[in-house]
Amino acid sequence: MLIRLVPGDPARAVVGETASEEQVAIMRQRLGIDRPFHEQYFTWMGGVLRGDLGKSIINSDPIGSQIALRIGNTFELTILSTLTALLIGIPLGVVAAVKANRAPDFVVSTLAMVGLSMPGFVVGTVLLLVFGLMLRWLPQQQYVPFLSNPRQHVELLILPVLTLAASTSAVMMRMTRASMLEVVRQDYVRTARAKGLQNGIVLMRHALRNALNPVVSLIGLELAVLLGGTVIVETIFGWPGLSSLLLAGVRSRDYPTVQAVVLVIAVLTILINLAVDLVYGLLDPRIRYS
Amino acid sequence: MNKDNASNRSGSVHMLTSAVSRRSFLRRAGLLGGTTAMTALLAACQQPQAPAKPAAEAPKPTTAPAAPAVVPTPPPAKPTEAAKPAEAAKPAAPAPTTAAAAPTAAAKPAAAAGGTPKKGGVLKYGLSTDPSNFEPHVSTGAASGAVKLMVYSTLLTYNAKGELIGNLAESFGWLDNKTFEVKLRKGVLFHDGSELTQSDVVFTFNRILDKATAATNAPRLADVDVVEAGDNNAIRFKLKQSNATLPLVLADNSSMIVSEKWIKSGVDPKATMMGTGPFKFVERQPGVAVVLQKFDRYFIPELPYLDGITFQPMPDDNARVTALRSGSVDFIDYVPYTQMDVIQKSNDLVFKADTSLGFGWLAFVHDAAPVSDVRVRQAFALGMDRDKMAEVAFSGHGSAITGGIIPEGWVGYTKDLEGMFKPDYEKAKSLLKQAGQENLKIDILSTSTYTVISRPAEAAQAQLKQAGIDGNLVMQEWLTFRQTVQAGTFPVHVWGSAPSFNDPDFLSEYVTSNGFFAKQIKFKDDTLDKLFLEGRQTVDVAKRNQIYQDAQKRIAEVVPWVYLIRREQGEAMQKFVKGYEHIAAGAWTQIMLRETWLDK
Repeated sequence: MLIRLVPGDPARAVVGETASEEQVAIMRQRLGIDRPFHEQYFTWMGGVLRGDLGKSIINSDPIGSQIALRIGNTFELTILSTLTALLIGIPLGVVAAVKANRAPDFVVSTLAMVGLSMPGFVVGTVLLLVFGLMLRWLPQQQYVPFLSNPRQHVELLILPVLTLAASTSAVMMRMTRASMLEVVRQDYVRTARAKGLQNGIVLMRHALRNALNPVVSLIGLELAVLLGGTVIVETIFGWPGLSSLLLAGVRSRDYPTVQAVVLVIAVLTILINLAVDLVYGLLDPRIRYS
Repeated sequence: MNKDNASNRSGSVHMLTSAVSRRSFLRRAGLLGGTTAMTALLAACQQPQAPAKPAAEAPKPTTAPAAPAVVPTPPPAKPTEAAKPAEAAKPAAPAPTTAAAAPTAAAKPAAAAGGTPKKGGVLKYGLSTDPSNFEPHVSTGAASGAVKLMVYSTLLTYNAKGELIGNLAESFGWLDNKTFEVKLRKGVLFHDGSELTQSDVVFTFNRILDKATAATNAPRLADVDVVEAGDNNAIRFKLKQSNATLPLVLADNSSMIVSEKWIKSGVDPKATMMGTGPFKFVERQPGVAVVLQKFDRYFIPELPYLDGITFQPMPDDNARVTALRSGSVDFIDYVPYTQMDVIQKSNDLVFKADTSLGFGWLAFVHDAAPVSDVRVRQAFALGMDRDKMAEVAFSGHGSAITGGIIPEGWVGYTKDLEGMFKPDYEKAKSLLKQAGQENLKIDILSTSTYTVISRPAEAAQAQLKQAGIDGNLVMQEWLTFRQTVQAGTFPVHVWGSAPSFNDPDFLSEYVTSNGFFAKQIKFKDDTLDKLFLEGRQTVDVAKRNQIYQDAQKRIAEVVPWVYLIRREQGEAMQKFVKGYEHIAAGAWTQIMLRETWLDK
């Protein structure tokens, strides 16, 4: 609802740059935004409860179907980039922890620092220039739905996924490293070693499994961040997801669209957190719900 | 274990505690929000169909498309009246009969194209913004304007040289000072197969003039008393007082002719399109593409050459240019100035642009001290080296405005004023001193949303220091900026735009008391009001020339606002894109796409 406190008139966004005050007033009335805030809010909420997210005040698109069209794209992007980040981050984190304070650790940690400190738009633009323009390995074009051309769809996904995974995998790596270093000093690890288990088995079965708990909660957090925070990547690569819908909504003060997208992102965030808590239980029986 | 590990450990402990507290929160939130949230989520996923169905699909012709009854087969393109020097094309002369306005010019693209046009192919167009909607009479920016221009038609339009020509009009001209007549082409078809009638045109202008439409051109058509159908497919615009800008407004891309039947059928013209233009609207995938397909029965039989156009929104400047350079798209608009050199040097690409239109300015709120003092405003005008600003702000892709704002070649251009606002820091300082404003500290508002506005603002701030003006630049997001400007809370702001049409009357928006920008900065000057009213009511070109020269001299005296630089603006395309010319007449340039063809 904060969006309404931001100055800026959606009616002006609709009628254009040099419209007169009279025209803006007419448009405000037509859009229904001249009514008191609470009235608009309850009308909207009533619609939501009946399963109607309303219509965009800028282009009359039904918001529900807009979100439905884009939510899959957002899921695709966030889940794939999180998976990629896990595949890169956890093994590297383990390596860094095992070889702590030796050359591999320094290399991996430096890479992580670079990954963390490079903003998404830099990574994205560089990837685009290298793979799209210089090497021309990957096409850079209009979004293609998976069903109409699976190959192109996947090709188009690669760069945005890598861009998002760059910083996420750095975070994962650091968390895994820290958590592993903590766990390997625990008594049960020493016990396992004392039993004469092979080092690899100790690390994988005993240490890593316990070290993953904070990483899992991190995955939850990162997923939630990615859901709403892929704006830059979506803009650079023309990927139609929820964030760009939200951004367009904020820019034009399209209140119903902003409200609906925020609601959906909030619900998804809650669901992700719920899922994370359930995974905790699987990883560590001690924190299962009784 | 070293320090590093200790700090990491505390990090992970923190993670665990936060997870525990979240759990208890979740339990409550789940109970409270679950029902609502799930309903919403289900609703969101319920309607997976595309929102913009190809509603405007025209029925397939059952018989062979009859040659449009009376479309005149034009003689070979020899320069007609309308193709003479710019003046001839400027607000039509008061000819008693309709001035010859060659639809021929539009139908003879080959001469400009440099080769025999080939038919076929789909143009991939990288569009700078996702069109917010398609409402034909309310302008929502250049991007949607470009798309609308391909689906709808206006009565008049521009040719490659920027001259006013007939479009749906077979001929047009002034019958007398207060009556403008347009003769419609016969046999023009809408995409649904129905024929364009006089009634559609009258309906269109009544829709524009209806306050409830909030149409962009309504204020510009305020002098129109009545629009009526005459004999021989004529449409007459009867004015309350003469207005030389009328033909320009009719050519504006917010004066699209719509089908009465179609609008009345209850369609939502924001979401779909149906007109008489060269291309039919197929679908819009928000954020992804707007797909247009060739209209086989377009009123100029040989046009368009392309089978279709796919507009792909690419709001990121770098991504748009990269897409063009890597061959993913064929054509892009709004080439960022940082990339102009790269494109011009490329052997595969062509850049077409002009510097006569887009310009930036610094405006004053005239009832706010200290800028209510004309000496302070003059100090601002003299306190900037605009050549350097163009270099800094646009990497040299811009030109200084040191005299009048009317560009060379237009009615009202005056050479006398050139160089008047060259930098003179000493004079600026002494003017400030006279006004008792030495070492002036002042807030300057601008917008961060558009670099074409923010970059000159930054350059202006740096320049003004030398004149003893310490500007504190405040950047706001676009709509916030708009609202702040409206409220007049900042004494100075920097903005940029382009003339609404290529006639000096566009300045009335800025300097006459009823003008949009003038009202915003609370500027009023009786002399200018009088001159601009006179200029608008005069149709004689020589007389108008004098009037607007006088007006610009007056503007230089009272300094209602300060002009900064004109920016270079244009489109870039692959070499095989032929037939496209950049029209230096503003947002109308995309009309050339109907004559564009692919040489591959």
